[in-house]
Amino acid sequence: MTATTADVGQTVSDTVCPARLTEVWEALRAVDDPEYPGVSIVDLGLVESVEVAADGSSATVGLIPTFSGCPALAMIADDVRRAVVSLSDVERCDVQWLDSPVWTTDRMSAIARAELAAGYTVVLRGADGSLRCPICGSRAVSDQSLAGPTRCRSVAWCDDCRNPVEVMRS
Amino acid sequence: MTTLADPRTGGRRWTDLDDFQVFIDGGGMVEPGDDMPEEYRDEVFRFIEFHANSELMGGLTERDWIPHAPGLRLKQVFLAKTQDEIGHAHLLYMVAADMGVKTRDEMLEDLFSGRSRFHNVFHYQAVTWADQVAIAFLVDAAAFASQRAVFAECSYGPYKRILKRIVSEEGFHMRHGEEMLLRLATGTDVQREMFQAALDRWWWPAVQLFGPDSPPGRADPLLRWKIKSERNENLRAAYVQKYVPLLHGYGFRVPDDDLHQDDDGRWVAGPIDWEPLKATMRQGGPDSARRIATAAANWADTAWVRDALTRHETREAHEVAS
Repeated sequence: MTATTADVGQTVSDTVCPARLTEVWEALRAVDDPEYPGVSIVDLGLVESVEVAADGSSATVGLIPTFSGCPALAMIADDVRRAVVSLSDVERCDVQWLDSPVWTTDRMSAIARAELAAGYTVVLRGADGSLRCPICGSRAVSDQSLAGPTRCRSVAWCDDCRNPVEVMRS
Repeated sequence: MTTLADPRTGGRRWTDLDDFQVFIDGGGMVEPGDDMPEEYRDEVFRFIEFHANSELMGGLTERDWIPHAPGLRLKQVFLAKTQDEIGHAHLLYMVAADMGVKTRDEMLEDLFSGRSRFHNVFHYQAVTWADQVAIAFLVDAAAFASQRAVFAECSYGPYKRILKRIVSEEGFHMRHGEEMLLRLATGTDVQREMFQAALDRWWWPAVQLFGPDSPPGRADPLLRWKIKSERNENLRAAYVQKYVPLLHGYGFRVPDDDLHQDDDGRWVAGPIDWEPLKATMRQGGPDSARRIATAAANWADTAWVRDALTRHETREAHEVAS
């Protein structure tokens, strides 16, 4: 898809289309995770690569799943295709699920972390494994169950404000 | 954001129910540490317990269909939905148990012995795969509409916070329901007939999920204390208005001889006989006993896990102490 040296001399230019590349990334930024409306898949670290054809008419998006068993994969791929094809003069978008790299919570941006904490009461574990309640800020948070409602979350409890807290895991 | 108001309120008190009502009417959010009126505590607790029971029974129903779901992808979807519902039940039981009315074990014992209630839809039998599609398309959508209306104004902080995630996930289940329905609707005549037969079985349970009309005015404490924000009959009417055209669009027949459009073109369901629903909620329906027995057996079969965890914790505590 990306123009390579092998394409030199063909009718299309061998330079990628930088403006289109930016547009595709912008379009992807507007795609939310189906489980977290308002949180972008780009901020969650699901988008690994974007390539556009030299003439800008098609794009290939490389995605990585949080968990391979995630039931949202087909929806995310559909949403990505729809968002990219809705750009004017883009005729095709191929979505590939990549085997590597493996997704970890390190891939989540500061924006995603803040949005999940504020909007969904979901937090990440600190580097030392500790937890901090996203509701009241207390450190008195104890693990309750490794399995939460989704593959990517476990369940904890804040003893201070007495609310369940969910923890993103990788 | 209101869901993030600091819940450590230092144990607020209200002089009486009128004082409490002023607080609720002003958009106040009740937190676990507050000295809330007993009547409010009981209503909220009962509501969350009912919701938790329904998530648990719903999850176990979906689990039954994992081996029968056609194709690996739909098995994956059902596996994930099962985990979702059980996970929701877990969060809800945590919040309910914290209210100090019943422990989690007591809630489960009451559920397994038939003493407590759960949604009407989990009392009926799913006969074919198309029933699961009808449940995913119709019942999940009804549950979503009803939960979204609770979330909108819910006055109990911890419940509102977990509803935010539950509602997002139920919205995601609805997309799976639409996808599964589309496969049957665009399939063979046999598939379409299968779905029509399932629709004939599930339309009324889905419509009745919203319950009978709410008591007039502010007589319903659930509405008065903003535990939920919309009257049952309004939610039901909006649901009928939305789903009748969708089903007609796919070429299916809605099993209601008195279904009609009003002067404004809105779809209106025929009169509903609530007696069968009330009897089902009181004495159980055709599939209640089997479902409850399955849930109870599941709880008994996993007792060794809880036992091992308790022993492990006791031993750790003992080692720390010595």
